[in-house]
Amino acid sequence: MTAATGARRHFALTENLIGYGTILLILGVLVAFLIAPVAVILVKAFRGPDGFTLEYFQLLFQNELHMEATVNSLALGLVTVLATTVIALPLALVNAKLEFPGKTLLTGLLLMPMVMPPFVGAIGIQRFFARRGVVNLFLMEFGLTDAPIEWLEGSRIFWAVALLEALHLYPILYLNLTSALANIDPSLDDVADTLGVSKWKRLKDITWPLARPGYFAGAIIVFIWAFTDLGTPLLVGYQQALPVRIFNMISDVNENPMGFALVVLVIVMTLVIFFVSKLALSGRKYEMMARGHVTNRVQKLNFVGALPCYLLLGFVILLAVTPHLSVALTSFSDNWFMTILPEHYTLEHYHQVLATELPMIGIKNSLLFSGLSTLVDLFLGVLVAYVIARKIVPFTGLLEGVTMMPLALPGIVLAFGYVVTFTGTPLDPFINPMTLLIIAYAIRRLPYMVRAATAGLMQTSRSLEEASMVFGASRFMTLRRITVPLIAANLVAGCLLCFAYAMLDVSDSLILAMKDQYYPLTKAIYALFLEQGSGELTASALGVLGMILLAICLLGASRVLGKKMGELFRS
Amino acid sequence: MEVVFERIVKKYGDVTAVGGVDLTIKSGALHFLLGPSGCGKTTMLRMLAGLEAPSSGRLLFNGKDVTNLPAAARGIGMVFQNYALWPHMTVRKNIEYGLTVQKMSSDQIRQRTDEALAITQLSRYGDRLPGQLSGGQQQRVALARAIAVRPTVLLLDEPLSNLDAQLRLEMRDNLSRIHKQLGITTVYVTHDQKEALSMGTDVSVFRAGQLIQTDPPRQLYHAPKSAFVARFVGETNLLTATYLGHKDGLHSVKTTIGAIDASRSMTSAKVGDPVTVSFRPEAVKLNLGGGDIASDNRLTLKLDHLTYLGESEQFQLMGQDGTLVRASVFNPPDHTLAVGDTVAAWVAAEDVLVLPTETDQPAST
Repeated sequence: MTAATGARRHFALTENLIGYGTILLILGVLVAFLIAPVAVILVKAFRGPDGFTLEYFQLLFQNELHMEATVNSLALGLVTVLATTVIALPLALVNAKLEFPGKTLLTGLLLMPMVMPPFVGAIGIQRFFARRGVVNLFLMEFGLTDAPIEWLEGSRIFWAVALLEALHLYPILYLNLTSALANIDPSLDDVADTLGVSKWKRLKDITWPLARPGYFAGAIIVFIWAFTDLGTPLLVGYQQALPVRIFNMISDVNENPMGFALVVLVIVMTLVIFFVSKLALSGRKYEMMARGHVTNRVQKLNFVGALPCYLLLGFVILLAVTPHLSVALTSFSDNWFMTILPEHYTLEHYHQVLATELPMIGIKNSLLFSGLSTLVDLFLGVLVAYVIARKIVPFTGLLEGVTMMPLALPGIVLAFGYVVTFTGTPLDPFINPMTLLIIAYAIRRLPYMVRAATAGLMQTSRSLEEASMVFGASRFMTLRRITVPLIAANLVAGCLLCFAYAMLDVSDSLILAMKDQYYPLTKAIYALFLEQGSGELTASALGVLGMILLAICLLGASRVLGKKMGELFRS
Repeated sequence: MEVVFERIVKKYGDVTAVGGVDLTIKSGALHFLLGPSGCGKTTMLRMLAGLEAPSSGRLLFNGKDVTNLPAAARGIGMVFQNYALWPHMTVRKNIEYGLTVQKMSSDQIRQRTDEALAITQLSRYGDRLPGQLSGGQQQRVALARAIAVRPTVLLLDEPLSNLDAQLRLEMRDNLSRIHKQLGITTVYVTHDQKEALSMGTDVSVFRAGQLIQTDPPRQLYHAPKSAFVARFVGETNLLTATYLGHKDGLHSVKTTIGAIDASRSMTSAKVGDPVTVSFRPEAVKLNLGGGDIASDNRLTLKLDHLTYLGESEQFQLMGQDGTLVRASVFNPPDHTLAVGDTVAAWVAAEDVLVLPTETDQPAST
């Protein structure tokens, strides 16, 4: 009896250790590094020297510049949504209704912007749209205009940012719309046919209302991203954007508490937009009534008939890669001045990357920080995914919700929160931001690792683990010898993704890396970009290297994960 | 190892998968848990294994309460329905796994593994990966893995359901042989009554979470205690009847096709009570050459349908009110009967059984 009791207690302990231990660990980490920073912001926004106060908000609303920036960013969000709709809707319709040679390749290329960091593209925009920039030269060369157009002056800069955001974000809307359209029962189209309904009326009255929920799911993501993105407006030089103003206020935020109010404003607006749209617009999921296998009716076009499609797709793809193409050209260019394309090419800037201190620091730091944060993600992610997927304890819904929170929180909010929460503590970013950067990278990428691990666990039959336990192995041993080896591929993919996106992280890196010896890659690019002279060129070379790294990692991950890649990016 | 289920209940929310089962599995038995899908038999097995905890009740191994003992501490071996072979390990490593947990010396491990491979006739396949084996071979690896650890109880969860008919028959013989050779208490879950009848020392029939009857195969077949068991194990004719009385050792009932005498009753019915009467198709005698047979319970029926199966011929006979009676004649002689002909049929009283009427509708699973 004693032996059995002992064994029972030992095993129950291990069971609970893994289950509750993981929950405590992950909640502890998330409370300290996700919830606490946001809470601190909220507290400081409402607390004055004499207690609760709304003074900061009053000052905020009276500050013209801040209010103008807020309106600008909201407008930016809205315009971006409209622009992405204009781009994505025709593409989605073409994808759903038409079939033509080369469709798979072209529609695949449409998704390229998802893997091209907008931050890097923003470097190219200046060169493209400067007074003597490529676009102006092109227009003047072909006689479309006499004087150079001031693309980046005054209010026009808004449109440059909006364009960059739209080009980066349209794939999200495109994917959402495509799946929404794919879910619409094609027999609905047949019914409309038999009733003699015109194509336009059909689109308006049948297709659109049914696709609407999927559309709004994507539109929310687009809006919130465009509204809160720091990297792009910063590099383009759009000072009157909300995220940029917040960025500029970070260094003296304790003397000027209005910054807190501004960030709270961002949080509140994000939440409001999120919930309102979830409730009112995308809440209704229409259940398709027909059951059984239905084939989608597509209209087949041959090479000639599909010409308009080629033009459309080609144009969008070209437009999407243009910023990055220009960065690539810049990085190889020698004395590119006043010509549409560079006249001379050189590898000098890549030499500079290797020779100059700042880029090398950036690379080294990013490799170190991203590597460590990926290890943290691996450890936490596997534990969390295992506890959730195998339902080791109750309350897994709560655990899952909290773990996914970083996806919903805008980058600047979290980074700002870290600065105000951890100044004066051992993690003070003003003194040594390394630990905080690693933690910030890890927290923000954790959802991807959890998703990758969960996907692997879903594919691995429970009975393989049950068999292990039946034959006497503890949960630890089962995890080690059975589960982890079987999901190793998914974990590798998750690591590649976490690593790649950590390498190209923008918000945390720009805001938290206060001292140049700790600059990660993105901040090094930013600093180089601001330098006079050839800084911009070295920054371009560095940016191109970053993109190549991202591409390699994503290719590796997609090799391993296959079609499941799309699941990692949903909201 | 004797296994006792004591008032075992398992509920999932509002659904009762197993509702209050008392069952004793004798040491060394090859004990079948038989029943249709969703009857709770797999749940019973998983509770035995320790993969599920009962909602209430006790589980005893040789008198010791193991109800809350984790699976890993129970010393059982299990063959899963989908085999659950670890795809990233060779056959040999799969078998060794349970042994390495027991911290044996590597010599002992090799010896036990070789034994298991020999018993299941897989000695040549030790270094293959599961993906390189056929279904039958995979099943044998799962079995080898389970017996290598010398378990106190061996659990088999529908081990033959993924195999084709020919292979199934082969494996049935293998399993019987191995059980006799090793003498391990074995609990075998299946929905196939032929497996249960041909291999089992004891068979427990389950339905909708309840244990209906436990008996050795012959008794189960000849003396089912309910219409459900009579129908589930083998085929039978079930007629609704009214109990007429008990005289001279015979129970008389009145059916819509005539009065029938039965030598046994599983009910305590009184005169006038509704009952069900059961007799197997092979017990129905037809004189296909014409003339009478000296036997009891003569029924005059019309021939409704004929099915010739080679080793037997199935006669579907119909009474005046449409009641169907099926007769199975083995080694059928040539005859001239045609659909519509009147046929005389007899059933011996020893082959007729009076059963309680089913008060609830049969589950439509």
